[in-house]
Amino acid sequence: MSITTEARPEPSAPLRSARRRLPGISADGSVRSVLLVAAVIPTAALAFLIYQMVKTAWPAVIFNGVGFFTTKTFTIGNLYATGTEVHHGYTAAKSASYGILPLVFGTVVSSFIAVILAVPVSVGGAILLAERIPVRLQGVLGTFLELLAGIPSVVFGLWGIYTFGPLLSRTLYKWIAALHIPWLTGPTGAGEGMLTASLVLAVMIIPIIASTTRELVRSVPAISKEGAFALGLTSSEVVRIVTIPYVRTGVVAASILGLARALGETIAVLIISGNFLNAYPHSIFDPFSTMASTIAAFLDSALTDSTGMAVHSLAEVGLVLLAITLVANLAGRMLSRRFSGAGLPVGRGV
Amino acid sequence: MNRLVAVPLILCAATLAACGSSSKTTSSNTTSTTAANTTTTSVTLTTGNPSAAVTINEDGSSLLYPFLQELVSPLKAQYSNIALAPSPGGSGKGIADAISGTVQMGGSDAYLNSGEMSANAGLMNIPIAVSAQAVYYNLPGVTNLKLTGNILAGIYQGKITKWNDSTIAAANPGVTLPSTAVVPVRRVDSSGDTFLFTSFLSATNTAWQNGPAFGTTVTWPAVSNELTASGNPGMVQTCKTTTGCVAYVGVSAEAAAQTAGLEQALLQNKSGDYLAPSSATITAAADAGSANVPSNLAQSLIYEPGAQSYPIVNFEYIVVKATQTSASISEAIRTFLAWAISTSGGSQSQYLSKDNFVPLPSTVLPAVNAAIAKITP
Repeated sequence: MSITTEARPEPSAPLRSARRRLPGISADGSVRSVLLVAAVIPTAALAFLIYQMVKTAWPAVIFNGVGFFTTKTFTIGNLYATGTEVHHGYTAAKSASYGILPLVFGTVVSSFIAVILAVPVSVGGAILLAERIPVRLQGVLGTFLELLAGIPSVVFGLWGIYTFGPLLSRTLYKWIAALHIPWLTGPTGAGEGMLTASLVLAVMIIPIIASTTRELVRSVPAISKEGAFALGLTSSEVVRIVTIPYVRTGVVAASILGLARALGETIAVLIISGNFLNAYPHSIFDPFSTMASTIAAFLDSALTDSTGMAVHSLAEVGLVLLAITLVANLAGRMLSRRFSGAGLPVGRGV
Repeated sequence: MNRLVAVPLILCAATLAACGSSSKTTSSNTTSTTAANTTTTSVTLTTGNPSAAVTINEDGSSLLYPFLQELVSPLKAQYSNIALAPSPGGSGKGIADAISGTVQMGGSDAYLNSGEMSANAGLMNIPIAVSAQAVYYNLPGVTNLKLTGNILAGIYQGKITKWNDSTIAAANPGVTLPSTAVVPVRRVDSSGDTFLFTSFLSATNTAWQNGPAFGTTVTWPAVSNELTASGNPGMVQTCKTTTGCVAYVGVSAEAAAQTAGLEQALLQNKSGDYLAPSSATITAAADAGSANVPSNLAQSLIYEPGAQSYPIVNFEYIVVKATQTSASISEAIRTFLAWAISTSGGSQSQYLSKDNFVPLPSTVLPAVNAAIAKITP
């Protein structure tokens, strides 16, 4: 569901001229058609997905109307009661109500907290991995990073609920709560809730941001860094003045990828969230719910709703989630364009 | 090689309950829709080994899945041309797949709701075994705790928050109860277990019945220290690690709950007796409930009368369309179902006992066999 934003350094002069020669190469029709198919498949897949979702969600869009975005109660209704709810010519089960405000809140807030926590760790780790430790150790630690990216999300969920969450709720959460900062205080529970979910999401997106950043750090031209050292800058100044400005466009793009991953994460959040519906969490430690986890939690019951409105409404939730991901992506692109405007003090991509 | 077993059945003559002109409702949450076909014609149930190999695909309840898996080999041994292929996709998916024709049979812990029945003419829910649900708690030093539906509803509404609450103490005279906080655990996923548990709460507590009511997913009241878990193993694990917890768990996970050191609560039944789920108490409830089974077989076995009736009992259902695509597939499904509910076939204790299921009461068999006989091309 994510749309990737790739940060590329400006192509060097020889590469640019090679691109200009491309029409000559593509006279080879077979190469061209293979490339065309490769380019069309992901686009067509997304278009088909959106078409299907809109088609499935359409009855819900009419049934729910604006209330979908302005009310807080999300329930598929009592399927075993007699009677139905009818709005705008469409029927749903008795006492069904579809309002997604708390779900949007839970999705957006938990994902943003995750990104805010993950970015500094990822960037710091990436610079360390790429520049500050012996090459042999780089390989070993790099493998750990890649392994972290490969762990199934259900494992993260179970780890979060049975190990990580209970441990933190007894320790770190108690200390945070003791500071009595609004919304960061209150009962810390057993570790189910928004902060644990955000922390687990952060751990899940660290490999995405860190491995991209590591490659970017490696691509910083040696001549820029050496020039900076020659001017008498300390190594921490080189990181601050040369490396970070050089990679920040890419880091923003990688963070957007991580955000998209966090927005759409389903199973891990479902397990950890506490699946609390129909109201906002009172504090960061409270149970909550996200859009993706709600789709997963409700789907099997929704299939037994003979009016079909439960499934239609879950499709509408999916559609809104897709829109949020798209908006986050566009915002990220704009942000990275603004960042890339800043030049480097010692030349760039010489 | 074809073995043809013909079981002649006469509806109504066999059992009065099967075609009572109007189905009686004894418990508050019984669906009492009467199926269209209540004619007094005789139906002959023919079963046998199909002449060519047939695979019956099943999808649905994860609670029913291990039992169906148990049946695969003995079914093959008995009927060489019938292959049963079960999968645990969830009750809702199983029912939807059976309606769409993706699979021939859907497995469900809950009976079909009246909307599903009226929207899909010819869709039947056929009881295949009887299961039950236990309530577990983690309270060191307290054994054989007695609980009522009212107390559990109070706990899951957040009204009862301490184990030494006066209502719990009143049900347990002479027991020293600690002031530990009660931590209710509920399922996060859509679940037949949630359906059974909330059916019990609805049957015993008016506020619950008029509030969250019952279903495979309900709108749970906000309870500050409530925990959620996924699947029966998750319920057991969460309760094991939480002192003061109370959790509802299907009896098929009884061994896991005992290994985890959880205590089983004695639940109060309709006649006021406190019982644990056992083969005898589950059978007693099933016998009591079977007296009222409507012709569409959608029957709750929750809170049935009788001193020996355990209060949270249910039929496990196979959801199947009466009209199948071919003669051989309908013969295979009829044969499988008739064999599965027979105590000389699939309903032997060697297949049922692993999940703590019990066989269907003999009183309900004529009605079930009559429904099976309707499965035709």
